[in-house]
Amino acid sequence: MKKYIFILFIVSLFFNASCVTDETCIQSKYVKLTAGFYQTTLNDSTKIISTTQTGFDSITVQGMKLDTLTGAYHLVDSILYNNNKLKLGSINLPLNNFAFQSKFKLTLNTKVDTLTIYHQHFNDYLSLECGCIVTHSIDTVTVTKHFIDSVQIRIHDVNALNVENIRLYYNYLTFHKPISN
Amino acid sequence: MRRIFVYIISSLLLCLVVSTTYAQKKKQIAIPTDSTRWMNGFTVHLDVASLVMSSMLNNETYSTEGGIQLDLKHKFFPTFEIGVAGANKVSTDNIGYKTNGMFERIGVDFNLRKKKKDSKPTNNLFTAGLRIGMSNFKYNLTNVVIPYNYWGGSEIKNYSETPTKIWYEIVVGVQVEVLKNFYMGWSIRDKNLISSEFSGESAPWFIPGFGINNGTNWGFNYTIGYHFWPQKKVLKNNKTLLIQQKNN
Repeated sequence: MKKYIFILFIVSLFFNASCVTDETCIQSKYVKLTAGFYQTTLNDSTKIISTTQTGFDSITVQGMKLDTLTGAYHLVDSILYNNNKLKLGSINLPLNNFAFQSKFKLTLNTKVDTLTIYHQHFNDYLSLECGCIVTHSIDTVTVTKHFIDSVQIRIHDVNALNVENIRLYYNYLTFHKPISN
Repeated sequence: MRRIFVYIISSLLLCLVVSTTYAQKKKQIAIPTDSTRWMNGFTVHLDVASLVMSSMLNNETYSTEGGIQLDLKHKFFPTFEIGVAGANKVSTDNIGYKTNGMFERIGVDFNLRKKKKDSKPTNNLFTAGLRIGMSNFKYNLTNVVIPYNYWGGSEIKNYSETPTKIWYEIVVGVQVEVLKNFYMGWSIRDKNLISSEFSGESAPWFIPGFGINNGTNWGFNYTIGYHFWPQKKVLKNNKTLLIQQKNN
């Protein structure tokens, strides 16, 4: 009996030693809104509109920040997507942690649209190792309809989970229509 | 690595103490408790492990605790433990966490040791039991940076909250009478928070009495205690009877 107690004592000590906490953050701190591009197609015979997620040959995305002195928006120096080829048909956009709206200039080939996301933000404390992240809740989304026809909010909460938050629909014919002078 | 070495050396030293106590025990003439009586006195004990470990393993946390344990029929041991613990830690991202607070635990231990026929009377115990622990404590989190992102700018936040946390513990341990009425023993504890959710804006890194807040935790206690006998006369009579029986 004493032997077993003694063995248990030793094991318990080493088990305790192995439970020293890791001081590195293992949680994801990557909070970005995911927007998917969807092409709408009207089937002439059935009159049913179908949607397909599609990529682009070239996309450029840049944030637009409000200048509080002039009241005008100017482009953020850093470019999120710089003439990138978009295979998967979705982009990740960081929302402004210190404002209630985030504005982006989207350039697809030669066409330009401005996407505005109105949102709330919340400070979300994770742990001592990970610190704090800022999550968001989307209120509304507006877009200048130069090539994007409509916007749909799929999931309002923008957090560290990689889910599609909004869908941007465009018509293939509208998008490929040649620019007329 | 250095911490593990220190831990192993301290563990071996503790083992040495335990083995010495067993050796000493053989030389003792135990005063048997009366298992027919409900009240067999009480033991007041102090935890040595929390004092030693907090200073040897790291200086980020500390804990001091003691308790009182009643002996009912030498089978049931209602226990009340009280202590004070705290933490002062700075994370790799320079986030500071500071807390100091008291904690209490209440519970009962059961003696698992069965008395064999013709065995020598002993007060040594092999116990298993349960505890409910509670702590109302204040903590401060400082220098929590709201991260810089694409848009620029950053913000530093400080949190100060006073939560109350309740947890339960499953305890297994041993107590040995090393000298007359002096006990040494150890116990291991599996600690579980009853509710791991926090109502405030942040969450504590360390909970006094519970330890580092991971939802579940392990604890180790090494106690030194003294047993008080309010019924000394009865015991003396028992001892006299035993000696008489031995002589006969």
